[in-house]
Amino acid sequence: MPPIVHVRGLSKRFTVHKKAPGLRGSVRALFVRDKLVKDAVRGVSFEVGEGEIVGLVGANGAGKTTIVKMLAGIIHPTSGQARVLGHDPWKRHNDFRRQIALIMGQKAQLWWDLPAADCFLVLKEIYRIPADRYRRTLDYLADVLNIGDELNVQIRRLSLGERMKMELIAALLHTPKVVYLDEPTIGLDLSAQRAIRGFILEYRERHAPAMLLTSHYMEDIERLCERILIMREGEIVYDGRLDQVVRKHAGYKVLTIHLQEQVQGVCETPELAAVGEVQECNEELIRLHVPRREAATAAAHLLASYPVADLTLEEPEIGDIIERIMAAQKGAPA
Amino acid sequence: MSPRLFLHVLSVETRKLMSYRVEFWLNTAVGFLAQFGAIYFLWKAMFAESEHSIIGGYSFDEMLLYYVSAILLTKLVRGRERESALSQEIYEGSYTRYIIYPTSFFRYKYAQHLGALAPASVQVMVFGAAAAVAIGPRTLETISMTSVAMTMVIVAIANLLHFVMKAPVEGVAFWADNVWSLDVMLRFIIGILGGAMLPLDLYPTWAQELLVWLPFQYITYFPVRVLVGEVGGIDFAIGVAIALFWTAVFAGVVRIVWKRGDLQYTGVGI
Ligand SMILES: Nc1ncnc2c1ncn2[C@@H]1O[C@H](COP(=O)(O)OP(=O)(O)O)[C@@H](O)[C@H]1O
Ligand SMILES: [Mg+2]
Repeated sequence: MPPIVHVRGLSKRFTVHKKAPGLRGSVRALFVRDKLVKDAVRGVSFEVGEGEIVGLVGANGAGKTTIVKMLAGIIHPTSGQARVLGHDPWKRHNDFRRQIALIMGQKAQLWWDLPAADCFLVLKEIYRIPADRYRRTLDYLADVLNIGDELNVQIRRLSLGERMKMELIAALLHTPKVVYLDEPTIGLDLSAQRAIRGFILEYRERHAPAMLLTSHYMEDIERLCERILIMREGEIVYDGRLDQVVRKHAGYKVLTIHLQEQVQGVCETPELAAVGEVQECNEELIRLHVPRREAATAAAHLLASYPVADLTLEEPEIGDIIERIMAAQKGAPA
Repeated sequence: MSPRLFLHVLSVETRKLMSYRVEFWLNTAVGFLAQFGAIYFLWKAMFAESEHSIIGGYSFDEMLLYYVSAILLTKLVRGRERESALSQEIYEGSYTRYIIYPTSFFRYKYAQHLGALAPASVQVMVFGAAAAVAIGPRTLETISMTSVAMTMVIVAIANLLHFVMKAPVEGVAFWADNVWSLDVMLRFIIGILGGAMLPLDLYPTWAQELLVWLPFQYITYFPVRVLVGEVGGIDFAIGVAIALFWTAVFAGVVRIVWKRGDLQYTGVGI
């Protein structure tokens, strides 16, 4: 079976015309336009299959949203190819549009001044969903997301979490085969994040769509994706299973200690380097990456050796893991 | 876009506007009274100053009737522009949803636009009746069932014409940071050349003859004259044909602007 999303050498260059402020700038802009060129996406290739949730991660500005926009047909690529369900997304064929969904945490799609119930009815007509199927799907979706009376409240009056749930329902009413989720949990509290993650998994279970998910939260990626794409400056620098990444690159924890008093030359003591990789060190604070399995021993060792005021042991940030992979990519292959 | 969807969007929009009760009745009533008052006193002074009882073929009462009709019919032609501002969707990036959803942006927006007309018609009837009492029934004698029916036809066409005339200007939003000033300019031109500011009868003959062939007067002046029973069958048919011709022309312009705009659109704000 061919993959549902198939991308080859896809690139997007944005050209921005700089405009100097003020009237003089405006007049000048009529004659000479200073161009600013930005290669947001550079020759990426990847595939997403049926029932697969692929995580797209990378720093701000890495090009994640730009990829999603191209695959949803919102913007035209500068070069390269993408086939989604056998269509060129930017031709915006109705057959294509009836089978996809786009959910953006940063941008509402629903009509702000209508209650969700009305928005859904409009969508029912847009997607021509038969009445009984519409009823069943809506009941089911509202039930899983625990939505009740909020259906009759104007979208603009809902909390961010409630609004996001409505956006999800709206996007899935027509049971799309391809779902793009761009930062779906951004800004949500933990319980809303959890609800949405559970919901996405449940939807996958039932309908096995191809999903592409971008998120800043490691938790989202960990819970939802088996495979991730790591982007840096428009390029994909890692395409592989998530457990490989975590095993290879996040086999450590972050250990931070604050010292009770300044200790002269603490950073030069050989014990530190024996315990882990020193990330940051001064006379009051030490931060180390210690191997996951030896974290407890390392902590005990440091407690015994130094006048420790406070000690914390944390999971590494996804950003750090990404940083490490990119560093490895530049030097030797990961 | 299916007729069902069209009607659905239309009715949702109508219900939405009906739910803003205070704004709906109070603000529009105040606006209407202010406009009517300004015109009343302005023309009262003009007639007193000129010492004629007829200006440009209009008596004072006829002049009032002209303006009341112009204000009310133009309301039907324009609809609630704020509600369906196309440029707003582009700036806010909500234009994206019409790319994602399998539907036509323009048909959707036009359905919304028409949805705003149902409540506007109610207002027009209420204010129209009030104004008729104020002006006096004798002036209304020329308005007949036939003229009202003809007015409904031309207003429907004018509504579409106005929509497609405005759309290319709104589409400039794909390129420019602000279309507000262009919007105001277009509004002003339509006001002056369309007869909302002055009855076109007050213009020089050559200008009147020229304006017959341009789209503007079919927004206000022509519908008003149809309403007061001054346009015969043949002239009506010619007027309708000219208005339809311009509607087609502007629809073509809209297509071109949007085709190019779509290439520019990057969905800002996502
Ligand atoms: N419409 C646009 N015009 C110009 N530059 C853009 C536009 N959209 C995004 N960019 C630039 O492209 C790069 C990638 O952006 P984006 O895809 O939004 O990143 P991400 O979603 O990974 O944070 C950024 O440097 C951004 O500034
Ligand atoms: Mg983004």
